[in-house]
Amino acid sequence: MTDRLRRVGRRLAVGVRRVLRVARWETARASGGVDRRTLAAGIALLLVAGGVVGVGVATGVAGLDVDRDVYRVGVDAESPYAEAIEEAPSLRPVPGGTASLGDSTDAVVVTVVRPGAGDDGAIDAADVDEVVVRATDTRKGEAAAASVREAVEARNERVLRAEPNRTAAFPVTVTLRYVGRTTGFDDGATLGGSDGGSTGDSDGDGGDESASGGTVTDADGSGSGTDAEETGSDGSSATDSEADTGSDGSPGDDTTAGRTDGTDGDGSTTGGTDGTDGDGSTTEGVDSTDDGADADDGFAVPSIGGGAFGANTVGSPGSITPPFPFTSLLLAFAFLVPMNFLIQAYGSSILDERTNRRGEPLLVTPLSPAEIVAGKTLPYAAAAAVVTSLIALLVGGGALSVIAVAPVAATFLGATFVGAMFARSFKELTFVTVGVSVLLTTYAFVPAIFTNVTPVALVSPLTLVVFDLQGKAVSAGEVLFSTAPMAVGAALLFGLGLGVYREEDMFSQKPVTRKFLDALAVRLAPVSAGGGLLDRDRLRGLGSVAFLTACTIPFVFVAELLAVAVLFALPVTVSIPVLLVTIAFIEEVAKSVGLYAGFERGVFERTDGVGVGDADAGDADVGDGDAGDAGVGDGDGSLRVALAVGIASGTGFFLAEKATAVVQAVGLTDLFLGRAAFADVAGLSGLPPLALAALFFAPLVLHVTATTVASVGASRGRTAYAVALTLATLGHAAYNVGVVSLG
Amino acid sequence: MDSRLTIAGRELAGLRAEKTILLAIGIQLFIAMFSSFLVVGLVSMYDPGALDGAEIEVAAAGDAVDDLERAAGDVPGASVTPYDDAGAARSAFERNAADAVVVATRTEDGRVSAAVTAPDSTVETTVIVVQLREMLRTYELNERDSRASYLEESPLPLPDRSDTSPYFTFTYTVLIPLLVFLPVFISGSLVVDSITEERDQGTMELLRVAPVTIAEIVDGKAAAAIGIAPAQALLWLLLLEANGTSVANVGPILALMTALTTLVVAVAVGVAAVAPDRRAAQLLYSVAVLVLFGGATAMAGGPANAVARLAIDSADATTGVLVVTYAAIAAAAYLGVRRVVAVEGFAR
Repeated sequence: MTDRLRRVGRRLAVGVRRVLRVARWETARASGGVDRRTLAAGIALLLVAGGVVGVGVATGVAGLDVDRDVYRVGVDAESPYAEAIEEAPSLRPVPGGTASLGDSTDAVVVTVVRPGAGDDGAIDAADVDEVVVRATDTRKGEAAAASVREAVEARNERVLRAEPNRTAAFPVTVTLRYVGRTTGFDDGATLGGSDGGSTGDSDGDGGDESASGGTVTDADGSGSGTDAEETGSDGSSATDSEADTGSDGSPGDDTTAGRTDGTDGDGSTTGGTDGTDGDGSTTEGVDSTDDGADADDGFAVPSIGGGAFGANTVGSPGSITPPFPFTSLLLAFAFLVPMNFLIQAYGSSILDERTNRRGEPLLVTPLSPAEIVAGKTLPYAAAAAVVTSLIALLVGGGALSVIAVAPVAATFLGATFVGAMFARSFKELTFVTVGVSVLLTTYAFVPAIFTNVTPVALVSPLTLVVFDLQGKAVSAGEVLFSTAPMAVGAALLFGLGLGVYREEDMFSQKPVTRKFLDALAVRLAPVSAGGGLLDRDRLRGLGSVAFLTACTIPFVFVAELLAVAVLFALPVTVSIPVLLVTIAFIEEVAKSVGLYAGFERGVFERTDGVGVGDADAGDADVGDGDAGDAGVGDGDGSLRVALAVGIASGTGFFLAEKATAVVQAVGLTDLFLGRAAFADVAGLSGLPPLALAALFFAPLVLHVTATTVASVGASRGRTAYAVALTLATLGHAAYNVGVVSLG
Repeated sequence: MDSRLTIAGRELAGLRAEKTILLAIGIQLFIAMFSSFLVVGLVSMYDPGALDGAEIEVAAAGDAVDDLERAAGDVPGASVTPYDDAGAARSAFERNAADAVVVATRTEDGRVSAAVTAPDSTVETTVIVVQLREMLRTYELNERDSRASYLEESPLPLPDRSDTSPYFTFTYTVLIPLLVFLPVFISGSLVVDSITEERDQGTMELLRVAPVTIAEIVDGKAAAAIGIAPAQALLWLLLLEANGTSVANVGPILALMTALTTLVVAVAVGVAAVAPDRRAAQLLYSVAVLVLFGGATAMAGGPANAVARLAIDSADATTGVLVVTYAAIAAAAYLGVRRVVAVEGFAR
């Protein structure tokens, strides 16, 4: 036993040494590839650009107004509205005299002036009795009119901020707090945010979990943003997920006020063992209201303090910001940007091995393909880890951010590896790389937008980063749920690519589809037509089929989620049927494509000989003793093989799908579209046991039947496979429709 | 001239054989669909008016409740139910009879203090808060109006509300520029790959032996890359047109994007000529394009804004001048790079 352990340990050590050697070699080559001149040129470019943009911003020429001057508005130069139009970036004033509606303008501002006013030459705001915006009768005209109203509102805010009479300028102050419906409502939580001075109004409502204190958004600039975040993370480190810290970052009363509040909140958390203390202390400075108007475009939007939505806001109505983790999202996006550059270099490196047979010397060494690939990937994975940690340090993320980004980086690398193994040229690789970036970026980023809205957001590890930046505590289960699928996906991608890391695939110019089939067929064990039903070899073959199909589950879910997301924009009457068919198609392809690969590559016996002319079909057949006598058969044997692998594949898929019923646990089925996508696992409660069992096994019957149909088609060649796949999809879709209409 | 066409034809044949151009179009389609999904999603979160029947019910209490009711009357989709006291309003909220609670009280200094309670952590929270903000802003405006005489400078009267979808502005200022410029980057990337690949495989040497000059090789490769860009952009614009989004000034937009493609291709040729291998070349190219395009977009009258104004039909003489300027810059850059490469050759 110890001997064996020692041997395994020695082998492991050798493996690690080999991987490290390849990694060292790769690093040396990579740093030689990007030579100093390239690096210097790149840095010089960035510096020049930074300088130009910096000067532009400083002089006011630059600004990311993509909507600059898109609407033309006719307004008299002496009209008081001219200034408002002038100030709005999206509006371009056209002198009223020359303006003709629809031709040179999209909207015209017409003012009705009080009689007698304007005699002294100037018309000001007080003289305007009424204002009408006449717009063209188009969507553009409507949009222009709405922009004019916004511009006037913005101008009024600007003027009023300079107003000495605060009470008249901002007559309404608002205190906003979020309360969970299930919890009690404490009457002690009276109005905060009284007038001038610094009347802190704190309330400790014991046991009230969700009425948590949070940030005050009536602050402009990043200063308060950081402040709030700081306090937020204070709260989470206090081992209590509902740690309520009331922070106040209004610039009128500087940071010390916020700090004090924060400490206050911390103290009460440690004290409040019986529950949590909601400390919604809010302090309003005299001038906090006028700065409050700035909050819209400020940096203070995101920080959703200690609790989930626990942001208390005080200020004028204009300063209310809906809970949306905007800045945290932007910062989370920063983690994804370097990945795009990294995979470019990585893809080049892998493809480089394949051009001009450069990788051949490595292949003939005692190194296994897995060791070579691991060694070549290691430097890039390390680079990703370093960059991620640096970004985490910069944006204030913690270890959780790094852990969450790790599977994303691994998937980026894994998908690029597969792409580089399949691509035939640099050009193809470029598109594959772009495709990988786009797909993975959207997959990681889009769910994170809904971070505070629905638990489905956790399908993306980036959501964890957003939580981390917000200082919200997450459970280990959530971390696992969020990162594990993606990590498994990355491992499977590497496995897929490794299958074709061999001489006959690496250096040949096969189309992507054929390489893909190769990569799948490599993972299958032969299934012959003859032999006993429960032969050991046969069981092994069928087991490999079931396993391969089970491995497609993560990709099936990703594809289905993407389908849901893309079809989301369509009206429900269209999207639901399309979705049901799409999902059926995705699942049927996932279950049968491995079988098709098996038949095409001759791993599974196909007696009628369609497509067995393939070069690598031979070697799979060689080890198969029964191949000879099955050939005499009348195709009955091949039908038996097709049925057997079809059943194995359907069962494998069913088992894997049931294993992932965890999806339900996070409430993906809350979404109506989600319910359609994961219909099999929803709505099972409240039925008699027999019906329940029938419902439980109905999907099994469905999967097995549909896959067997596709499998028989696959055994007959390409056209038959396409026809059978269509049939299977239609049958599956009909079943889905039935389930949805029943549920 | 003939040899250039041959080279361009060979480039296009390569693209066709690998079907990469289909993959490229697929990627663009995906980006377009996803950005639309994002915006539709975000808009429906932020502009409840865009959602049909986003009605919120507010339980109100306090001595200023009448004014609040009046304000709610002006805001579509918000209604206020007065309650006797704060406790009754809150119990209505607890019973799910109301989406939010507003307790509006007048303070001694003449202000109105509104204590708002919104539900925590539900999908509707954002919608409710946005509606509440709209209602309270209207309330603020009314209050301000009645105190206008105390103000030194009175605010301008607001024009009436008009119905519009924020999706409209997005389509023209983000979606169309995005779709128009994606092919530009793809073309440049293609040129980088094409040149570095020829060098890597040693086929560049073969080409050099053939009776063509380096300038002709560059011309041929550039012509293929520049040619496919406007075709893709036109495809997108026609698709949008079929989808009910009318795009004005298609000709000038295509001219502008062709000029930009030429510029980017010039950069790509330069980068490919200088960089030692594909990895370095692609890295440098990405950085250069990012810098170039990011910088240009940040400037007033950047290409993205120019396309938006052309597409929405708000272009003026300056936009025309801008298109001509971009064309001139692109031509100068391309000819300059071509000349340098012709003299210096590709790096070894």
